[in-house]
Amino acid sequence: MMKWTLFSPELYYVAVASVFFVCSLEKKADPRRLYRWAVILAGVGLAVTVACARMEGFLFFDSYKVDLFSQVFKVFLALGMFFVVMVCSELHGIEPRKHGEFYFLLSVCTLAMMMLVSAVELLTIYIALELSSYSLYLLVPMRHRADEYVETGIKYFMVGATASALMIFGMSYLFGMTHTTYVADIIRKLPEVLNQPAAVVGLLLALGGFFFKQALFPFHIWAPDVYQGAANQVTTYIATASKMAAAAMVIRFVGMSTGQSEVFIEILVVLSVLSMTFGNLVAIVQKDIKRLLAYSSIAHAGYMLIGILCMTQRGYSSAVYYALAYLVMNFACFMVIIKVAPDGHNLQIKELAGLHKRSPLLAMTLMLALFGLAGIPPTLGFTGKFLVFAAALEKGYLLLVIIGMINATISLYYYLIVIKAAYLLEPVREYAPVRVDTWTRVMSAVLVIAMVYVGIFPDRFVALAEATVAVLP
Amino acid sequence: MLMTAMEFAQFPILSAILFSTLLALLVILFIPDDRPKLVKQVSLGFAALGLALSLYVYFAFDPQKGGLQFVERVLWVKSLGIYYFLAADGINVPMILLTAVVLFTGVLTMWELEKRVKEYFALTYLLVAGVYGVFMSMDLFFIFVWYDVSLFPMYPLIAIWGSTRKEYGAMKLTLYLLAGSALILPGILYLWAVAGGTTFDLFELQRLGFDVQVQRIAFVMLYLGFGILAGVWPFHTWSPVGHVAAPTAVSMIHAGVLMKLGAYGILRVGMTLCPEGLVYWSDLMALLATIGIVYGAFVGLAQTDLKYVIGYSSVSHMGIVGLGLATMTVDGINGAVFQMFSHGIMTALFFSAVGYIYDKTHTKMIPELGGLSKTMPKASAFFILAAFCGIGVPCMSSFWAELLVFISAVKTYPVRGILAVSGLVVSALFMLRVVQKTFYGDKNPKWEHIPDVPLFLASPRIILVGILIFFGLFPRLILDIIQSAVVPFVNSL
Repeated sequence: MMKWTLFSPELYYVAVASVFFVCSLEKKADPRRLYRWAVILAGVGLAVTVACARMEGFLFFDSYKVDLFSQVFKVFLALGMFFVVMVCSELHGIEPRKHGEFYFLLSVCTLAMMMLVSAVELLTIYIALELSSYSLYLLVPMRHRADEYVETGIKYFMVGATASALMIFGMSYLFGMTHTTYVADIIRKLPEVLNQPAAVVGLLLALGGFFFKQALFPFHIWAPDVYQGAANQVTTYIATASKMAAAAMVIRFVGMSTGQSEVFIEILVVLSVLSMTFGNLVAIVQKDIKRLLAYSSIAHAGYMLIGILCMTQRGYSSAVYYALAYLVMNFACFMVIIKVAPDGHNLQIKELAGLHKRSPLLAMTLMLALFGLAGIPPTLGFTGKFLVFAAALEKGYLLLVIIGMINATISLYYYLIVIKAAYLLEPVREYAPVRVDTWTRVMSAVLVIAMVYVGIFPDRFVALAEATVAVLP
Repeated sequence: MLMTAMEFAQFPILSAILFSTLLALLVILFIPDDRPKLVKQVSLGFAALGLALSLYVYFAFDPQKGGLQFVERVLWVKSLGIYYFLAADGINVPMILLTAVVLFTGVLTMWELEKRVKEYFALTYLLVAGVYGVFMSMDLFFIFVWYDVSLFPMYPLIAIWGSTRKEYGAMKLTLYLLAGSALILPGILYLWAVAGGTTFDLFELQRLGFDVQVQRIAFVMLYLGFGILAGVWPFHTWSPVGHVAAPTAVSMIHAGVLMKLGAYGILRVGMTLCPEGLVYWSDLMALLATIGIVYGAFVGLAQTDLKYVIGYSSVSHMGIVGLGLATMTVDGINGAVFQMFSHGIMTALFFSAVGYIYDKTHTKMIPELGGLSKTMPKASAFFILAAFCGIGVPCMSSFWAELLVFISAVKTYPVRGILAVSGLVVSALFMLRVVQKTFYGDKNPKWEHIPDVPLFLASPRIILVGILIFFGLFPRLILDIIQSAVVPFVNSL
């Protein structure tokens, strides 16, 4: 019975999902009331997850491992969900009568990703991944006036289904090579067979499913359309929480190779370089800020992969740190987008014109977040990049780091365009005034302080990231 | 030298200077928007405080003792070996003083600013905090962090308050300089990783030492990365464009102090950690520096915009710094550091003088001006004095600096040295031509009604001229300090 306490964050989110399931059956649920409940439940969820952070143990015939690594990522996920729910006060992107379903699917998706980061057995991983994917497949086309964006939903589903088909195919190879579906056993047996192409192919295909979630090149094609086509809050969720789970799983799967295969590392290097370069170059020409962030997320998947492909403790810990930094910075951007476009339309960069007058606080939050994404100190984004590059240089990947830095410079160009719009451009027409309620003020202040504080005093967070990956096999 | 994790010799004066600028930034942010006068007063107050503290550092620094003084060292990030490590030595004491002087005079120069006053001064203080941070830090991580902190306020400063293609200038400058840091960061991390990934402390790394091959790779990355900021030819093109676009005081800080960060970085990080790399690449350094000197002078000859003239003269003068560093001799490096100081003061004076003329006439095109010395003799005098300093007239501080550099350059690199000296002749030609066309000749009746500069507004220029002449007459007062760091440095090469 004691064992079930290990599962308490997940159980809690099952309960939350059930509550919203019941709410979704109600015909005329009041959106304001739903929002209040969602905030409270997500907040408590975050507290529950944090309280369970130090638990350790195995569940379900050892296919489910609760350790610091999984628990820290669960905290990230709960934080991501909490963030997203916080900005749902004006959920105009989605019809009011569907709000119950929206929160229900959000909870299910969070639950599924929490299971994903704990799963250490291939089939469990696959089931958890599909559960989270299907929630998202439903969330994306839920947008108000969905007929305009119907293509988005189909595209996301098709690409996602293909990716998971490739993944399960890859997993079958891994099973064929090692005769086990347990990650711990695969790690033990795989190095012996990794000189065979089938093993490398299997590993890469299995990774494909998570690369898809991370929007790493060449699994990125869904990202711009989905970011643009989904409701702003859903995009926020995809861009923050969903990336966390993917990062955790990429770390876990790359770790399977234990750095034995040169070919495997080379392929990851190539993917990382392509992803950074492609994402940053295409982002330059974007006019829609969500599309721009989509391409920037492709680039960031590449940076994160640099840390992971080092396959050292420092590399993994830098990736964990980077993931957290990315969660916070990206959320800050999306929060500003949602507040500047309260009716839920797709925000164009030029609509940010004069934001520094319309809402100085949001403008500052946006500026710091974008500087963070570009890797300018003293923000936590800089520390993240610094750690990633430091880990790569310890392995001697000098050229890769130079390419990464050049990419960071390119990325600064388009982030500056957005900042320029917010700080320099005069609005060409009257835009609706930006309403900033007390909650948003508090959130902005907290985000700004967090971005700078963690950037200046990274010691404790670096130590946490190192402790997190220390439990990996 | 072994140090414990935490060590405070006395009152942390360097931190006080550094954090007084950040405190100024915070205080300014909390002043209401409708009190621009108060913002200026607060800015001036903090600038004066910084100046007083840096003067204290300058006088309290003991050149006899040399070495590192006013040391503050705290472990910052344990697992990577990052230290909050501030110290003063003979090389950065003049730079700290330079920064304080340029900030103080820069605030005075912008006294008549009316547009978005609060944000302007807040960003200026952020910029200056970064500059101080680079000059004082002895830890590679912090040098890089402060370096980037000093770069990004340049974008809004130029793009909001600038003139003449300001958005283009701002973007070009930011991207060029960030491209520079794209080389610096891998260079720093490479050295850190090769040394075992345990410390970013500059002097511990120096003690650990590096292979020749490692030094060669790292040095060229650091040289090019910092060199972009130092305006090394052919990476200088951002600099005239940026100077021209920037508002007056930003040009002052930028040409006066920020470009010195580049040269300082080459000296402090590149040459300290990679002496073998320096030996290998010094030929290239001397060549690029010589081309910079000659090229800057010739291009300056063709300019019609006063700020472009100064921009290209900066390229030429920063070439002298590079040449001095490349000689690897005591005199050459002494001269280079001295030149960094006096060029900083001199360009600040140049831009400050042009700033006043531009504010009143709304043009900085040489053909449209003319005969200004008759309508505003005092304002013209400052520019002419700066031009004299630029040419290297004796009794001006840059005379000594250039003399030292050229003597050792001719000894070390005869051909390039002589070419560089001839570049100086061209630069004298173009300076005199500008002075003649702008301030002498026929009066332009359009400017007759313009009042001459009042005493208060002239005060920043008076201070700068005073410093140039003072150190021109008593060069030992600063050379002794510089030498206390350069002699042991050259001996260790």
